[in-house]
Amino acid sequence: MEELWQYYYNKDWVKPFLLYSIYFFVFVSIALFSSIIVIRRLKIRNQRLEDRFTPIIEHILSQNLFESAFFSEFSVYEKLFRNTVFRKLMMESIINLHQNYDGTYAENLENFYIDSGLINDSYKKLNSEEWQIKCKGIKELAEMNVVEAFEALVKMSKSSNKTLTIVAINACIKLNGSNGIRHLSRHKHSFDLWTQLNILDALKQGNLAQIQGLEYLLTSQNNSVVSLGLKAISSLNLSEKTQYVQKLIDETTSDDILIEAKDVLNRLLTQNNQHYKYELQ
Amino acid sequence: MNFNEFITIFVDIYLILILLYAIFIMSSYLILSCLSIIELRGYLKKNSFVNYQILLSSEYAPALSLIAPAYNEGMTIEENVKSLLSLSYNNYQVIVVNDGSKDNSMELLISTYDLVQADIDYEPKIATKNVKAIYQSRNAAFKKLLVVDKENGGKADALNVGINIAQNPYVVCIDVDCILDRDSLLKLAKPFMESNNKRVIATGGVVRIANQCVIKDGRLIEVNVPDKLLPRIQVLEYLRAFLLGRMAWERLDGLLLISGAFGAFDKEIAILAGGYNTKTVGEDMELVVRMRKYMHEHDLPYTVSFIPDPLCWTEAPESFSIFKKQRSRWMRGTIETLWTHRKMFFNPKFKLLGLVSVPYWTFFEFMAPFIEFVGLVITIYFITMGMVNWDSFAILLLFVYFYSIMFSVLALLTEELTYHKYVKIKDYVKLLEGAFVEPFHFHLMSVYAAMVGYYEKIKGTHGWGEMTRKGFSKK
Repeated sequence: MEELWQYYYNKDWVKPFLLYSIYFFVFVSIALFSSIIVIRRLKIRNQRLEDRFTPIIEHILSQNLFESAFFSEFSVYEKLFRNTVFRKLMMESIINLHQNYDGTYAENLENFYIDSGLINDSYKKLNSEEWQIKCKGIKELAEMNVVEAFEALVKMSKSSNKTLTIVAINACIKLNGSNGIRHLSRHKHSFDLWTQLNILDALKQGNLAQIQGLEYLLTSQNNSVVSLGLKAISSLNLSEKTQYVQKLIDETTSDDILIEAKDVLNRLLTQNNQHYKYELQ
Repeated sequence: MNFNEFITIFVDIYLILILLYAIFIMSSYLILSCLSIIELRGYLKKNSFVNYQILLSSEYAPALSLIAPAYNEGMTIEENVKSLLSLSYNNYQVIVVNDGSKDNSMELLISTYDLVQADIDYEPKIATKNVKAIYQSRNAAFKKLLVVDKENGGKADALNVGINIAQNPYVVCIDVDCILDRDSLLKLAKPFMESNNKRVIATGGVVRIANQCVIKDGRLIEVNVPDKLLPRIQVLEYLRAFLLGRMAWERLDGLLLISGAFGAFDKEIAILAGGYNTKTVGEDMELVVRMRKYMHEHDLPYTVSFIPDPLCWTEAPESFSIFKKQRSRWMRGTIETLWTHRKMFFNPKFKLLGLVSVPYWTFFEFMAPFIEFVGLVITIYFITMGMVNWDSFAILLLFVYFYSIMFSVLALLTEELTYHKYVKIKDYVKLLEGAFVEPFHFHLMSVYAAMVGYYEKIKGTHGWGEMTRKGFSKK
């Protein structure tokens, strides 16, 4: 202890400390700046690869889309399919295309997605440790209508990570309509307004004819789920659910839910009356 | 003990204290930047899955009132208001408060937007200067616009008028001459919808420097780094402050400042806290501190949010005289806020805010320029007395110099990894040049301006001083 104090008191440490700190700062500055250069070079390299692969991908996908060519017909590009960047770009392109087509065209893309093994890439992503990679996998599977993934997605929708929950619930809705959110009535976490709006948006994007069973949400013990159900009934003008809203008003013990439910009921009744008046005219 | 011994002991103690202060401030910057980078990475990951467009069509999106105080902005007011009216958001109104401009701002607004006096009663919840008239447009295309003509009372008073008139639960306070990103309101509104247990009382966004950037129809279309050294170094300074500082304070929930150029507030809490303080020139920081204090004193769970996206672009001073006015005003604002809320200093009742945020600002924002100035004076004294060990002096100088460069390069790397707004290689080279020059140029100017701020505060100077702007380059 005495030695340490003497060392401190003599100030012998000051000069080496400052010198080594300077070396450290210079080294870190150079390393950081080199990182900027490396990152820029990597970006340029990736861009070049993208420029090289994009015409090939466009060719393959247009053949598949419009001429129903199978994956096996592109064996010339077998080597490319083992390239990570190529597969990543292929995945992005197929997902983007699928968003813009339906019917036979969409089915062609879905078959290609399965035959090329891209579906396995998406499944692998589901098993990743990182939530953002899981989200990517979920989005891909949902976009390509892989209904078999539904149960796995339901499990993920119970995650404590909010973004993962939103992405998984939206995927469930895409794959299974409003039936995809029935399980939410047993959900434990509270949904904030942002999460509710995301789910609502997914419901609106889906096939409105498929919307059934939203009243289950009104029976949840989780007030945020009940609130979501009310918002969904109101936004989608589901006047046939009036009786369930009325039942909720009679039974709820929460003041907030009571206010929201009364508001929704009024809206539904007003809309019904307007509709009725219109029909009489 | 003779005089020489006394001087030697005094110098020893002084040097050790200064070294410890320097190490402490440097370490705190590094710790904050690490926290910021972690927070930024998390934010960007989350943000890649966010669809802001759902807010556009949702009836449940928070309703916002955008308040833009204007004083002698006749040169640019038509275009600026037009760009405010064309932001991507459904549920908002724009309140332009003409703070007794001496130019033709009001006439321009009336003729451009076909304004007529509206039949709206002004019932102030926060006391303000007299409101002369409230105008609305006859043109349905401008139905979101409300223009208030009032007696001159300063920016804080104009903002308070806006808060009093705002019809929506959240107010967004901006500088009318700032360039806002088209999606800025969507991003600013989101945090208000994200909290279950804590009330989000305010949200701030990143402000960036727009000098030499190209603007078209009130929108930023090309980002450039200024050629002039003073604004160029301010680009670096803003990158460090916003990318490596504020995100960390957000993570710690100890953010004290939301820039007056662009911030959103919960109107109810802002009114309950008393609105903007018209007696200070640092009204933006003072309001945040007061709102936080109010929530603590009433034991209400709350948080202040911060968005790292570059949503607001502003013009930085290019001349030293304007820069000096701005920075001395910032220093006066800091002193006034810290003095007004001195009760919070190291007060455990205010938790992290009282124990960390307020002391940090006191020691490192308020006191740092003074300590540097004293250090400079003492160094000059030592040199004239021949008491300087030049080897040690040079090493100490290099220690600070290389630290400063390292920190700036870290900010540049963070920008490259996150928003990558400066795409041209030459822009990065220009910023790096700035980092090398900054400690001998900009930093000394900042310390001088802060000292002027201390002096003005002691002298009792009030007001903002004339802030002339050059305007943006347009396409």
